[in-house]
This record gives sequence, structure tokens and C-alpha cells, in this order.
Amino acid sequence: MSKPIYDLINELPQSGPTVLALQALDYIVPGEWQNITGFENMIVAVTGEIDHGMIQQIGERAITLYNDPAEGYQRAVWLYQTANSIGGKLGAAALANKLGESISFLSFLEHLTPKADKLQAIDFVIKVAAEIIAYAKINGIPGDGVAEFMGAVGDYGKESLMRLAALVCFDGIVPLGPDFLRKIEEYIASLVPNDLESNPAFSVVSSMIPGGSIAGQLGFVQQGFQSIKGWIGNFVSSRGITREGVVGSLKQYIDISDDKLDYVAAFLDATTNYFEHTGIQTIGRRLIERAIAEI
Amino acid sequence: MNTRIVGVVVLAFVLCLGVNACKKDDPRWSNIDAKSKEAIEAKKQAQESGALPTPQEGGIFNAFFPKNEPGFELVASQEKTGFAEYKLKKNGTDLAMIAISDIANNPQAAEKFASATKTIAGFPVVEQGNTATALLVGGRFQVKVLSRSLSFTKADREAWLQKVNLAGLAALSTRK
Repeated sequence: MSKPIYDLINELPQSGPTVLALQALDYIVPGEWQNITGFENMIVAVTGEIDHGMIQQIGERAITLYNDPAEGYQRAVWLYQTANSIGGKLGAAALANKLGESISFLSFLEHLTPKADKLQAIDFVIKVAAEIIAYAKINGIPGDGVAEFMGAVGDYGKESLMRLAALVCFDGIVPLGPDFLRKIEEYIASLVPNDLESNPAFSVVSSMIPGGSIAGQLGFVQQGFQSIKGWIGNFVSSRGITREGVVGSLKQYIDISDDKLDYVAAFLDATTNYFEHTGIQTIGRRLIERAIAEI
Repeated sequence: MNTRIVGVVVLAFVLCLGVNACKKDDPRWSNIDAKSKEAIEAKKQAQESGALPTPQEGGIFNAFFPKNEPGFELVASQEKTGFAEYKLKKNGTDLAMIAISDIANNPQAAEKFASATKTIAGFPVVEQGNTATALLVGGRFQVKVLSRSLSFTKADREAWLQKVNLAGLAALSTRK
């Protein structure tokens, strides 16, 4: 087993590129995301409970729930961590992340290579598949029937909504431009099982993707994208998300030069781990919500 | 002191503070971490041997939650083995969570009801901390309402406990 849940939450950074990049998206999902770090802080923030005895009991139950492999929370953490590491991170970036210093875009340029569009499209849909599977591992399939389940999914908020906003911006509109959904759809429709099989990210997460065979898994990934495409299109238009808006907001936090915009996505890919960071926050919140109800 | 040594010491502090690399295990939780693994194994064996009942599927609880309450929105939130939870909202704001859990998942949760001094519909009720009111049906199913807004008081929690189909849950608790 990997680290216990309290360590995962205690070790979430309070500053650094991931936190700055997510803060830059606050204008898209105003007030939804607070960077809650620290296990006890999260218990208090999620439940509003200030009774020390209760906080201890909630923490103990959350740890026990997490430690039971049959509950699926560990798998969800693994999915968020694995799908996040698709980009291939820079060692130096990890240190920069933890030191929390302002980071220089230019100093990273020589290490960056913009990702080919097709590879970016595959990364995007693998993250979508990981989100769908992790959702089911964390929450089950809540509700009595399809309508209630759709209501549960529609209630995405806080760090979960921020994660989807970051997916749309950092893995969609920034690297692929305003018609990213159409581009991804085209690439994904033309994929053959061999494309997935030879993709290193897919080979890591494939054990979690339902479908039986590679062809079946490709079907799951394609269907996953189709199921969320409409929601994303609406999210982009209703919130007025543009590449210029996102990059402009990032510039408040990160020194980005206008002649190197092609490198912004690669820079975010190399220096941030928003998918894992917010994924651990989502899992922590859900565990704590369940723990206080079960004690 | 040699300025280089001072520099190294300062850098070490910066790294510790920033990276948390110097942080040791938090004993408050690490002791629990080890114990919980034994408890999980013991519970699994007790369920396999029949000493503990197998928890109900969470989906079976959906039917007992309040439905169609005018002015309120109930959103399904989680459904795991032996557990289902709904979020209570009004005008888009979270007011409370309502949860039904099977005691078979966490048997010691039933102990607190032994000292209950209050009942609702004949079922024992206890307050927990500042945000929770819990009720036990048939010694088996815990129903809990948890405030998520300061405006949602203890009286509100008790009122919403009564909107849960407690009689239906009681019937389920007598079924094998």
C-alpha cells in the first residue's frame, strides 16, 4: 500500500506551481476551490466540527475506511496519481513545487517540448476515463436510477469542479486551442487498439480500465469522452473560457513570455500535478463525509 | 561561525519547512493506522464466519430517504456497501447531509445509543459533537443528519430524521 491517507493530505503543498496554476483558474469557478491541506484541517473544513473528540473519531474512521482495500479509495488515489504522471515530470520541478518559490517559465524552456496534438488528445481522454473510474470507486453509483445518478454527477463542486476546470484548461484549451473538443474527438475516433497499447500512460492505467480487451478498453475511453463532451462544451461556453483568458490569468502568477505561448501547456504539464493534488483532496473530503456519518 | 555552515543550516531549515521532509510520523494517527489494519482483518473474518452480519448493499437504503420535499433539493452523494448518503440543499446552498449506514460496517457505532436519553418515533437518538444527530433503527441501521450550515440547527436535524422512512428501515432490520 502507498502512504496512509493522513500523510497524503498532510503532504499536499500549500504553495508552488500546482497551487498557483489552480488559483489562476479561480475566475472560472469562483470560490469553489480552497487549497485545504492537513488532515485535521480538512476534517474541520469538511464537517464544520470543532469538538476534539469528534475530530479524532472522524479521523480514525477515515483512516480505517481508506486502509480497507475493498473500499476502493486506495485505487482511486492510485488512479489520480498515475493519470497525473502521464506527462513525464521534471525532477527539478518537483523541488520547485515544494519550495514554493515563484518559478521562472524561461528557466524551464530548454527542458520543454510541446506535446504532439494526438498524444495530448490521448492524455486528455485517459484522464477523463480515470476520473470516471475514480468517481465510481469513491462514491459508488449513488441514487435510485439514472436521474438521481445524473444529479449526483451534476453536483460536482469544490476541488472536483476545479479538477475538471483544470483538465479543460491545461489539457484542453491551452494546448489544443478553442476547438479542442473537436480535435480530441477526431483523434479519438481514429484511434485503433494499437495506438493505446503503445501509449505508455495507457499501459500503466489499463489494468483499471474496464472493457476486457484492448479494443473494449478503447471503447470505454471513447465512450467516456462522449459522455462528458457535452458537459465540457457547455462549461466552456457558459463560463466564457478562452485560451487568452486562461493564459492571461496564469501570467499573474507565472512569468510567461508572449512569444513562447506554445510552451505554456508543456510547462504546466512538467511543473504541476493538479490531477493528483485535487484528486487527493476529493478523496479526503468523501472519506471524511462518510466517516462522520458512520461513527 | 563559518558563514558557509550558517548557510547550510539555513538551507536545511528552508528545505524542512518547505518540503516537510523532516516531518516524522504523526503519532496521533499512525497508531490508528496500524490498529485499523488489524481491525479490518478481524471484521472480515467475523463476517466470513457469520459472527458479524454482512452489510447491506448501499442501494437498498435509497428508498428510505426523504423525497420530494418542496423548497429543498436532495442530491444523491455516496453509495457504498452498507452506506448511502444524500445532500440536502436549498437554493443551491448545502444545508446538511443525511446518511444511513449499516452498523455491520462499524459495530462500535451502536455503543453510544446505550446511554441515549431521547427517542424519535421510539428509536434512540444521540447528539454527537456540534453538528450531528444520530438515531439507531432496530440495533442495525444508523440514520444521521449532519449540519453543513450554521443555520441548520439541532431542531432541524431532528425534524429531518423524522422525514426518513424509519418504519421501512425497521422492517428491513428484521429481514435476514
